[in-house]
Amino acid sequence: MRKSFCALLKKDCRMLTSGKFFLMTVGFLALYTAYVNLGYVRFMQMPPYHVYLYDPAGTQTEVSPLVQTVDSAEDLDAALQADANSVGLNAASGKVQVVLYAGAKPIDRHRADYALSLLHPSVEHPLEITGTNTPESKARKEITCELLFFELTAVGFLGIAAVLFREKNMGVIRVHAVLPPAKDLFLFSKLLVFLFSDLCFSILLILLNTGFADGIRILPAVLFQTVILSLLMALSGLLCALLLKDFRQFTLAYLLIAVFAATPVFLSANTSIKFDWIRWHPFYHVYMGLKNACFGTSTPLILHIGSVGAIVLLYLAVRYAFFREMGKEG
Amino acid sequence: MRSLKYQLKSVWKDKFCLMSFLLPILAAAALNLMGSIDLSSLGQLHFGVLEEDLPGQTVAWLERYGPVTYCKTPTELINLVNDPSTNVIGVKADGTTIKTMIAGDELEVFRQAAATLPALFEQQADARQTKVLVLESPDVLENLQDIFIPAILIVAMFMGCTFNAINIISEKEDGVAFVNEILPMPPARYVMQKIAVGFLFCSLSSVITACICLRLSPQTLLIMLVLILLSSFLSSLIGLLIGRISDSLMTGVACIKVVMLLFIAVPVLCTLTGASGPVSIICNLVPSRPAFEGIMALSAGNTKAAMENTGILAIHSILWCSLYILFPTRRKGFLHGSGTKTGN
Repeated sequence: MRKSFCALLKKDCRMLTSGKFFLMTVGFLALYTAYVNLGYVRFMQMPPYHVYLYDPAGTQTEVSPLVQTVDSAEDLDAALQADANSVGLNAASGKVQVVLYAGAKPIDRHRADYALSLLHPSVEHPLEITGTNTPESKARKEITCELLFFELTAVGFLGIAAVLFREKNMGVIRVHAVLPPAKDLFLFSKLLVFLFSDLCFSILLILLNTGFADGIRILPAVLFQTVILSLLMALSGLLCALLLKDFRQFTLAYLLIAVFAATPVFLSANTSIKFDWIRWHPFYHVYMGLKNACFGTSTPLILHIGSVGAIVLLYLAVRYAFFREMGKEG
Repeated sequence: MRSLKYQLKSVWKDKFCLMSFLLPILAAAALNLMGSIDLSSLGQLHFGVLEEDLPGQTVAWLERYGPVTYCKTPTELINLVNDPSTNVIGVKADGTTIKTMIAGDELEVFRQAAATLPALFEQQADARQTKVLVLESPDVLENLQDIFIPAILIVAMFMGCTFNAINIISEKEDGVAFVNEILPMPPARYVMQKIAVGFLFCSLSSVITACICLRLSPQTLLIMLVLILLSSFLSSLIGLLIGRISDSLMTGVACIKVVMLLFIAVPVLCTLTGASGPVSIICNLVPSRPAFEGIMALSAGNTKAAMENTGILAIHSILWCSLYILFPTRRKGFLHGSGTKTGN
């Protein structure tokens, strides 16, 4: 049994190598790393609102250095128009008037009051810091987590589907029906190969992008989540490959993942936009598990139980579809 | 024409294929419905306070700036503040005034807001007396919604790429490609037919998506149509090219992934970062970028910029066409592929 399992593993590895799967994974690792280090960290910045003051008579004397003075009312208009989040203070009439472009009401109020407070700067109030992350380390962890999730879902799913689809078309599955090794081994070897490649990918992605010290600390939890996600996606990929008739149909599955699964989950999990229905979205909980692991917070036990249950159910479904496929007449 | 009918028939039978063209339309409809979700809450302030810690008046003052969440224990408050997905500012009483706490990983704008909040609290009486002039917002403020719509349109327009690529690759895998080789049909016509299927569906889905999302004036409608037709043509052609260079499904999937990522990420990132100068010119090498810019310009009513971008797309079409013609057909790969097929 062990011998035949090893032979199957070897065959799967060879097939992935010939399909340039490993090469592709390394390529994406390089692409993502370059994106995080050269691009994302620089984009994720949001400076405080700019405040422009037009004060021809010089009535304001103790203005904070954060306020930029402009020379004419036209300049003030132009500055506000160029940067719609900024606030203008017009002191031309002697009394200060706040000018700003409408946004959400609460933010407008805050922007106006904030701009006024800069005219009379008071003593610095101490700010209590409760967390351990800096803006940069947070941005790095967040994007690494997103990329890891995207890669595991899309590649795990499509990769295994592409491999199995080919085998299905070639008739390998039917040949297996008459071969002596236990039938489950065929599935196990596929899952194992993908699991191994996903684990290597996560280790490298985490270490290269979140920094070594931080990375080592969160690695065990992330790897645990990777195992769950990898098995879930690989099993769904297997199921789709066994059920769908044509690989063209995978365009749909791929789009579904990208548009309907990933986008709302990313929005809800990473921003303050929370949809009410998101807790019914299975991807959300899987993603939150991964995110919690990245940020070192714990995930409720019930979610782990749910994931294991989903894996078992998926496995049973795959097994059923697999046996049905084997039983089909050529 | 008759063979085109067969192609269309084969796609028509494949309901899953059709659904992939329907998806952008669905997404557009969903976005229209979700128009009510306030994307501006992204930049909004959120506060966390302890129950029975701050006087009601202070909480009412905080609520003017953003939603306030009550926490039962200090640990709960710290957890809320530390939650990486939000930018909650913790507010506690400090004698007659207040003090604030943050997680330390917030963007600069929230950090600054937290740092100045006590000062704002002390000066609230002054602030109430000042006159505030709120101007009608220019389009810039709806940025996020503005980016979502072109992004969905880009997905719709470049769907033809994925479809065509996978279509060609699966034909290669099934051996239909070899049958096509010996058909008494000039290669150019075959190519035209293949492009036509992706092109038709993709322009149709983009047109419907555009109708749902954008309210255009009759003059801009024509430019929009040209933009859609050019992009659909380009995407179908690129799909064909991907199909031609990939030997197997795996390579095809990898290519499509890279292309889709580039097509969606490049224009969105360029817009978010406001790229200009040489970077912007380089970004125009990705065909989705002029398409995206064109749509943005059209929805802002800037016809001149839209025309320019349509011009860039037209140049792209010519370049990609010549690239496709010049790109050598991989005879060797075909023969090798047929060898493995018969071997199995």
